[in-house]
Amino acid sequence: MPTTTPWPTCTRFPLVSPWPTSTATETVSWWWVTWVRRGHEMKLKVYQGTGLLSENALPDLPVSVTTFLMEQHEPRMPAVAVASGPFVYVYKNLRPYFKFTLPPLELNPMEKSVWDQAKEDKVDLMSMKEMLEQIRENAEMPLSVQSLRFLSLDLPEMESFVNQYKMQPIKRQTVITCMATLKKNMVDEDAVSCLVIGTENNEILILDPEAFTILAKMMVPSVPAFLDVTGQFDVEYRLTVACRSGCVYILRRDSKRPKYCIELSAQALGLVRVQKNIVAACSDEMLQSYTQKGKKLWVISLPATPVTMSLLDEKFQSFQAVLVALANMEVHMYRDKNLVNVIQTQDIVTSICFGRYGREDNTLVMTTKGGGLIIKILKRTATFHKGDTAVGAPVAQSIKLNVPKKTKLYVDQTLRERESGVAMHRVFQTDLSRIRLVAARAYVRALECSMAPVSESLQEPLKMNAVVQGMGPTFKLSLNLQNMSETRAVANLLVSFLYDEKLYSVAQPFFKAPMLVPGLNYPLVTFVQCLSTQGISDIIKVFVLREGASEPLLTAHINMPVSEGLAAV
Amino acid sequence: MGLEMDPLLHALSYFRRRKFQQCSDLCSQLLEKEPSDQAAWCLKVRALTEMVYVDEIDVDQEGIAEMMLDENAIAQVARPGTSLKVPGTSQGGGPSQAVRPVTQTGRPLTGFVRPSTQGGRPGTIEQAIKTPRTAHTARPMTSASGRYVRLGTASMLTNPDGPFINVSKLNLNSYAEKPKLAKALFEYIFHHENDVKNALDLAAYATQHAQFKDWWWKVQIGKCYYRLGLYREAETQFKSALRQQDMVDTILYLAKVYSRLDQPLTALNVFKQGLDRFPGEVSLICGIARIHEEMNNISAAAECYKDVLKQDNTHVEAIACIGSNHFYSDQPEIALRFYRRLLQMGIYNCQLFNNLGLCCFYAQQYDMILTSFERALSLAESEEEAADVWYNLGHVAVGIGDINLAYQCFKLTLANNNDHSEAYNNLAVLEMQKGRVEQARVFLQTASLIAPHMYEPHFNFAVLSEKVGDLQRSYMAAQKSQEIFQEHVDTQQLINQLKQHFARL
Repeated sequence: MPTTTPWPTCTRFPLVSPWPTSTATETVSWWWVTWVRRGHEMKLKVYQGTGLLSENALPDLPVSVTTFLMEQHEPRMPAVAVASGPFVYVYKNLRPYFKFTLPPLELNPMEKSVWDQAKEDKVDLMSMKEMLEQIRENAEMPLSVQSLRFLSLDLPEMESFVNQYKMQPIKRQTVITCMATLKKNMVDEDAVSCLVIGTENNEILILDPEAFTILAKMMVPSVPAFLDVTGQFDVEYRLTVACRSGCVYILRRDSKRPKYCIELSAQALGLVRVQKNIVAACSDEMLQSYTQKGKKLWVISLPATPVTMSLLDEKFQSFQAVLVALANMEVHMYRDKNLVNVIQTQDIVTSICFGRYGREDNTLVMTTKGGGLIIKILKRTATFHKGDTAVGAPVAQSIKLNVPKKTKLYVDQTLRERESGVAMHRVFQTDLSRIRLVAARAYVRALECSMAPVSESLQEPLKMNAVVQGMGPTFKLSLNLQNMSETRAVANLLVSFLYDEKLYSVAQPFFKAPMLVPGLNYPLVTFVQCLSTQGISDIIKVFVLREGASEPLLTAHINMPVSEGLAAV
Repeated sequence: MGLEMDPLLHALSYFRRRKFQQCSDLCSQLLEKEPSDQAAWCLKVRALTEMVYVDEIDVDQEGIAEMMLDENAIAQVARPGTSLKVPGTSQGGGPSQAVRPVTQTGRPLTGFVRPSTQGGRPGTIEQAIKTPRTAHTARPMTSASGRYVRLGTASMLTNPDGPFINVSKLNLNSYAEKPKLAKALFEYIFHHENDVKNALDLAAYATQHAQFKDWWWKVQIGKCYYRLGLYREAETQFKSALRQQDMVDTILYLAKVYSRLDQPLTALNVFKQGLDRFPGEVSLICGIARIHEEMNNISAAAECYKDVLKQDNTHVEAIACIGSNHFYSDQPEIALRFYRRLLQMGIYNCQLFNNLGLCCFYAQQYDMILTSFERALSLAESEEEAADVWYNLGHVAVGIGDINLAYQCFKLTLANNNDHSEAYNNLAVLEMQKGRVEQARVFLQTASLIAPHMYEPHFNFAVLSEKVGDLQRSYMAAQKSQEIFQEHVDTQQLINQLKQHFARL
């Protein structure tokens, strides 16, 4: 990362509107275009420098704004295309020039006949509603907007609605979801380009720049959300389409259907092509990269949800990076999978555009959610940390962990192991069986004498531990008795102590334990008096017995502490 | 026969050969014949003293009263690295708690059991007076009573006629004028009778008679003050003695005073100054190592122990500590070398074979593991020792995947030592694997009850509760685990996971 910020100049001023939601900006050599919304009034604004150049009212909410060159004539002034609803408004010389309308879709004949009947007043409202609903349920072709609107109305409003619209021909119209440009037949910067449009009914259209006729039409399996185009229309081109289903489809010239499909882990929130690779920011806070043929290259996680993304293409140093605006008010710059720069902004950036602006080749224009506009100019001397461009293992893998060295002794021992492995194994196995025998014998003895403080019997799974407190000569002996069974309570238990009567006297050497409810700890307390004055201690044994049985269920050995009280006298 | 040895010479010979009882009997006969025989009297006093003599330097066990009612503490909240009382002040990058187990107070286990390493400093009075104060690990009430009285009375029991000298009837002042007798008498009163007050009186008279020029008496006065808990006074006496005569003993006493005053850095300084005067003195280096160890600076301690071994290559404590340090820093094969060296030096006990077995297991020397444990088991002198062997065998069984054997071993551990919290914990894990949730829960509760310093039972309990779906309990247990061992990553992850759960609810 450079020591000084590579983005030295920052101009920030609020856009005119208090609540602009600008989702599209575009820079063209001298000016940049954005659209602004104030309430229901929408405007297309063109800026030059930091001043407003022109303003045009928009009839509807735009989805995409782009600039393109329509014809070869000098002076080459680009036109602005604004996609909104089913229309593309083209502005030439900053004045409205043409309105392209998407071709109407084929109508359902049954729906058409219903409306024809309505025109002739041959059908009443209820049966009309029923028929339309039936068509909606069963027919493959969706209903027109008019019918859908009719179905959503309440009964009293229906009549006036039908009367109003029955004379007009019904038509089915789709809307534009995204738009991009494609060079017609030359690769030059200022070559004529076609508009590429994605529509709500899963189609992709390519328009002729002069006549605005549809040059090509392609289908994708889902609704396109982001488009990226490369190549020339007359030669060869490649469309990368991120769809709402979370899939990215790749189409080529002459293919009516997608050639490759990439299934992303989540919905794409942005799509950018870096050279021959595709980079997509997804809603699960991941930035993913794929090759043109759909092979996954890398995935990195982003610190926050991405909002939008854009390509940074610095021609002078031929440095290409991806700019990702995040919901935590940062814009991250990734070169491949390496984060090379972070721009902090005051607000969430909603759209980014990088390109030539005025005399400056590398300008970054960002609009923010709250209505701000940020223009940053890349320092001409700025160099970006190229990151770890090496293919293969990531950097983290080569960080050395502090693993203690294996000593020569260890190596010698492994040698011994290798040489006499069989013998060692045999010795170990013999020893193991012997130890198993010893352990089993001891275990059986412990069980027979109920030496353990844990009882294994199925009827009374009990556990006991004893704590001695005090300094002497009187000690407090608390036994913690617990029933370990799942459901069954245990009753009729007796507790008895075995001790040297010359040394100790126990207040209650024999008592009955209360009924033990499973899962609860029962502290049973008794007092022990030490009789010796000579600082001697002994073991007191505690037995838990079932009534009528002579064998104890549990035994605990308590090592008594030395009585300090008497000894100190 | 014919030739009879002079009885006094005979007694002296007995004394030299450390046959104190015979020496004392012979002297008694001599004294019966001639009650004012000073030589015989002196010899008998010395013999009786030697019988119960314990090196003052090493007997350093803080009683409960000293610990809990300590008025010498200088700062209640000591700065990190300046106190022995704050276990968390580790600077020396030893292995974490997950690798090396800790004692009750959160200090890593040492490789060598000394009086002061046994219990550590308990945090509360309740913890202090709980069971671990058994006959094996007893912590006396105050250092002025319990342990020392027992040492004293032990010899009294063998003397049914009553004490040899009735100290209260002696005219201490007159004895103080005879320096040779006085020294023997002082040791007798101090060690045999354990009557610190009279010993102090005698020493005070004697040092007056010597015109405060005898350093020996000053050290003795310091020892008495130390016993009485007057540490500052003891400090001045020891310092004054050091000015007159450089002695290793005095330096050790002085350092002991400082560590009792909870000033480990001053104690370290004392040791270092001592080392300037006595370069390479083993007991001084060893003292430094012990202080480093108590301050959790394990790597520095290991360095010091290595220095000790350069001077004295048969120093058991140093070998054992370096061995255990290597064991816990993932080099069991080197630890094995050190323990083998101990074996060569003729130490032949249960603990050593126990350690050897474990080292063999972790260093993959499979042919030696079980034989070592078997031998350890046969050498076990008490049930606690046997319990530890069974516990380690349980580990080996878990390691080779023999769950059945592991289960039996842990059970046997508990049968031998009811308070073995680690065994309870491991048993609970085995029960958890078997799906017996209720049992596992009870075992874990017991383990955390017995050993509040361990984080494992709390963590396991949290995992268990989380599996069963009792998120509230799981969260509480996880927090307890974190309180004990803050860096434990799994606990942190579990807590985060639980927090997410709660946020989602």
